[in-house]
Amino acid sequence: MVRLKDRYLLVNIVYTDVQPGQAKGPVSDLMLYNQPTTGELRPQHLLKAIRSEVNALFGDCGSGAVDRSLQVKYLSQATSTFILRISRDHYRLVWAALSFMHKLPFKDGRPCVYRVVRVSGTIRKVEEEAVRRAKLFILAAKEEMAGKPSSGALDALLRGKDQGRGLAMVVDQDVDDLEDDDLEMEVGG
Amino acid sequence: MERNKANLASKHPEARKRKGAPTGANSQQTRPNNSRGNKRVKFQDARNIRSQPPDAALDDGKLDLEKFLNAREYEIKALETSMQKCKDVNASRVFQQVPRAMRRRTASHNAKRVPKRLRERARREMIEDNTPTVEARRRRPRTTRARIRAETAKRLGILAARQQKKRLEKSSTEGGEATTKPATIQSRAPRPKIRRNVLNDPPKTRSKFRKRQINKTWLPTHLWHAKRARMTEPAKPLWRFAIPITPTEKCYRPTHRAAGQKGAVVWDTSYISTMGLYGSAEGAERVLRALGLTKEALWGNRGKKWRAGLRKWSGVLSKPRKDGRRNIGPATVVWNPEVPSGESTSLKPSHPSNPSRQLLIRTHPSAFVELFNELLKLVKMQSPQMHIEDLRFEIGSIEILGPASTEALIGVLKPYYEKVAVEGNQGCVFRSLVGVTNPSSLPKDATLSFSIMNPRLSYPPKKVVVPPGSDQSLLETLTKWPVEEHLKPSGLYNRDVRHKASQLPSQKSINRRKGSCLPGKGLGVTSADPPIPVMLLASRPATPGQAQGLWTLLAPWKCILPIWYSLMHYPLSTGGNPRLGGLDEQRQVAFEQGSPWFPGDYPGTDAGMEWELQNREKRKSDWDRRPKSKRVEWRSLDLGGGRKGEVGDGLACDFEHLFGLQKTIVCSAEPLGPRGGGDPDAMELDHREEDDRADSPKAHQTHPLGTVTHVTKAKFDEFGSTPNANRPPKHSLVTVSLSFTGRGVASACARIYRLPRQACPPVQPSTQAEVPATQPPPSSNPDSLPLDLREQWLRKLPLQEANTNVAASRGRGQQEARHSIVPPRIFSSIGTSTLNRPHLAGPHLAGSVPGDKILLGPKAKANQTDVGGHPLCPGEDDLIGFVTTGSFCLSEGKGTAIGSISAEKATESLKEAGAKEGRLCIIRNAGESVGWLARWEVV
Repeated sequence: MVRLKDRYLLVNIVYTDVQPGQAKGPVSDLMLYNQPTTGELRPQHLLKAIRSEVNALFGDCGSGAVDRSLQVKYLSQATSTFILRISRDHYRLVWAALSFMHKLPFKDGRPCVYRVVRVSGTIRKVEEEAVRRAKLFILAAKEEMAGKPSSGALDALLRGKDQGRGLAMVVDQDVDDLEDDDLEMEVGG
Repeated sequence: MERNKANLASKHPEARKRKGAPTGANSQQTRPNNSRGNKRVKFQDARNIRSQPPDAALDDGKLDLEKFLNAREYEIKALETSMQKCKDVNASRVFQQVPRAMRRRTASHNAKRVPKRLRERARREMIEDNTPTVEARRRRPRTTRARIRAETAKRLGILAARQQKKRLEKSSTEGGEATTKPATIQSRAPRPKIRRNVLNDPPKTRSKFRKRQINKTWLPTHLWHAKRARMTEPAKPLWRFAIPITPTEKCYRPTHRAAGQKGAVVWDTSYISTMGLYGSAEGAERVLRALGLTKEALWGNRGKKWRAGLRKWSGVLSKPRKDGRRNIGPATVVWNPEVPSGESTSLKPSHPSNPSRQLLIRTHPSAFVELFNELLKLVKMQSPQMHIEDLRFEIGSIEILGPASTEALIGVLKPYYEKVAVEGNQGCVFRSLVGVTNPSSLPKDATLSFSIMNPRLSYPPKKVVVPPGSDQSLLETLTKWPVEEHLKPSGLYNRDVRHKASQLPSQKSINRRKGSCLPGKGLGVTSADPPIPVMLLASRPATPGQAQGLWTLLAPWKCILPIWYSLMHYPLSTGGNPRLGGLDEQRQVAFEQGSPWFPGDYPGTDAGMEWELQNREKRKSDWDRRPKSKRVEWRSLDLGGGRKGEVGDGLACDFEHLFGLQKTIVCSAEPLGPRGGGDPDAMELDHREEDDRADSPKAHQTHPLGTVTHVTKAKFDEFGSTPNANRPPKHSLVTVSLSFTGRGVASACARIYRLPRQACPPVQPSTQAEVPATQPPPSSNPDSLPLDLREQWLRKLPLQEANTNVAASRGRGQQEARHSIVPPRIFSSIGTSTLNRPHLAGPHLAGSVPGDKILLGPKAKANQTDVGGHPLCPGEDDLIGFVTTGSFCLSEGKGTAIGSISAEKATESLKEAGAKEGRLCIIRNAGESVGWLARWEVV
């Protein structure tokens, strides 16, 4: 039997309309960047936006390829996180589309960045990564509030020393394990 | 009616719906009613990940650390529960997780069927899934008969309780002492009766199982096998035994692997019949000579070791008849070593008429009665008197095959006596065989007899450690084979020793001993543990080559079970345990080694004939059961060349047709059907025995197949070797192994043809180019076979073989014959080698030479001159035999078969066409019109 091969993308919505140093009082930068998304955002809106972006970038061929298998598995507005499912052959189209999107999919939506933090062949690994990141968030937020800037958690969250790299993309071992030769990932860039 | 149903449903917990609908958050959704839909909803439920609205992370629309952290925590929890739920919903039940070999029937309904460590989970899962469980004991009887039985049992139980109560009252009034004191009288276990010259009773079984063994006998390992293998049908035992046919798990390829490359296959072959022959050495020689052991080497110096009891003899026994000898079947003869002179003979039976020599003769149960009667006749003729004993249920056997067979045996059989002086050297020699991967590397037909400890004492068996540097000593042992030192008679021949060995301590007492001794310490041998006499026979495969040899272990009947348990649980050094084999596996192994299997591949013997007749009936009934449109209509089979209809009976290896014997109404069904083999019933022994003696020859006389005889390889070679040797007897068959030269797979009943004879058309004196044009086309007559059929078939040979073949035939001066058929111009221009290449000589050349095709004008009808380019099957007069076993052979990687061909026709074709081409034959499956080229080899 032929198995349908999918990829799962873990995406964070990072808000960009925050001026650095804007943080006042009890709110830290980290929380400002990762603030909750409006409750109006439904999975349908996301899908529609991605499709139209793919169509703009790759034309009818691209949107046709993506159309059938694209699905939102999980969308949490409180943490601005969602998980997408897309067929293995076309996940890069979706990733590219996400990279080009810069606002919430509404009229006059807030400017934001869709940050793909994890690509995996199973939803399980994506979920594990989301859990790991949530834990790091908790740590980092607490540390930041306590005023300890030398925190490992934030570094880990943003992937290490190279802070200038806006998008730290993580394509982990488990994807390679799936014997996937078309996954030659250029991390960062 | 409706009400009734509702009542039932409320009464019986089984009647409840099995799986409760999953209780999820979205239970208000309308769900499909069928179970498939339920499952789908369940999966959807499980995959749904909960999420929070944004308000949860905000404090009145403002960012707040506490809420921010709470939202993350909530997310972590949601994701983790989602993962867990997915895992649970996909989870399989434990009985699905056990390895295939450990799966048991009804494991889904009975937690006891799964391994112990999984039992708790299984129980829990059964409760979760609401699996209906019914305890067999509590099951409400469904049939009238069962109800009556249950009621009777209940009443009897009440009666027994009342009686016991009465007895108790009585004893208490008498004094109350008698009840507390156990009986002090210990009775000796009765020694089984072994009568001379008469068939013996099967062992008396527990009353619980006695009714099931009225017309058959169970093997000592029956209960073990019945759980793991398909047995013979209860009403249709095989040779009066309940024999495992094949293991319940699929095992064709694993058996092939275990038998040849890695591992071992074990069979309980206790059904093989053993007879004891007692008397003087000269008398034994006369008896054995009369049974066909006439080779002088056996009785001269070369057979010395055999007669000393150090080797076995295996071969086909025969009996004299009016018209020559008739083979009975393969048998093994072993002599008991003589009591060394000048020693006190404790093993000697006390009675004065002490037989000087003892022999064991082992044969297949289907040939047992025949051999027993023949032996009886011969024994009674001897003076001084000899006698025979039927040791069928006294001595059992286990066969083990495979590279790890020796290792497993060494791990299980521990010699009882350490000292060489007590019992000879053979136990030590056996222990030193560590590292032997093939018993054929032992001296030919080697035997080893010694006593072993009860294998239960060292259960579970442990891996054998190979001592470093043992290779050299092993080689030395194998070449010197020092077994003659302190040679003693084997205890296996002595009924007292056998009986003593059968009184093994119970498993319960062994467990008690184990419990009381320190952990890690083995159980020592006490006086309660008798030595078990065993004998090991190493046999080489019938065909030369690298095939594995076979170990046969003989032991007292009642000791087979403990040995079997240990053997099946021995941890092999290559991983796993020895595999279980059934009758089918035995046939498979024989087939893969290219050796015939008795009785199936010996239709020239009485036992083989019975097997064949039985199988004919089975095939006939199978054929009858099929709808008319889906079975072969034998009469309308088109063999090409104007021939219609199958040759002979398509459902039989029709040797009657081959030899032109008169067909009679098959009356042999009666002695075969209900009684299985010819083995007389134990219960009604006296008249059955008479019956058999009178009956079996009669059946053979009535059935025409009874006149067909079997010729062994040695005999056949005699006919072939000398040009003016006497011809093989009329209606005689020789067993051959067949292997296809190219394509083709044969099945049972396939027809074997020799290559058709060279037709002799008027040979033209000139060999000019015009020959094909002037010569009439070979297949001008539509109702006859093409004249160059032999050529056509020879062209089908693969290139290499063909070349050597052509050279060989040229050497014998058949060149002209070839040239007369094939135009010389083609020969000179293309050359023989290219012509013989199958793809060139394929469809367009095979039918006839192209020139002829053109001459034919209108295209010939289908199957007139060839079958789509494939040569036609030869005619009926070229039929030489039938395939008895055939399939694709895993060891050869192509189709092979075992069959029987007419000895007369085989020698004829060898003489006519030489050793190489004479062995070519064409095999056509019954009901098919296409034949394939094969080569036969006498086995």
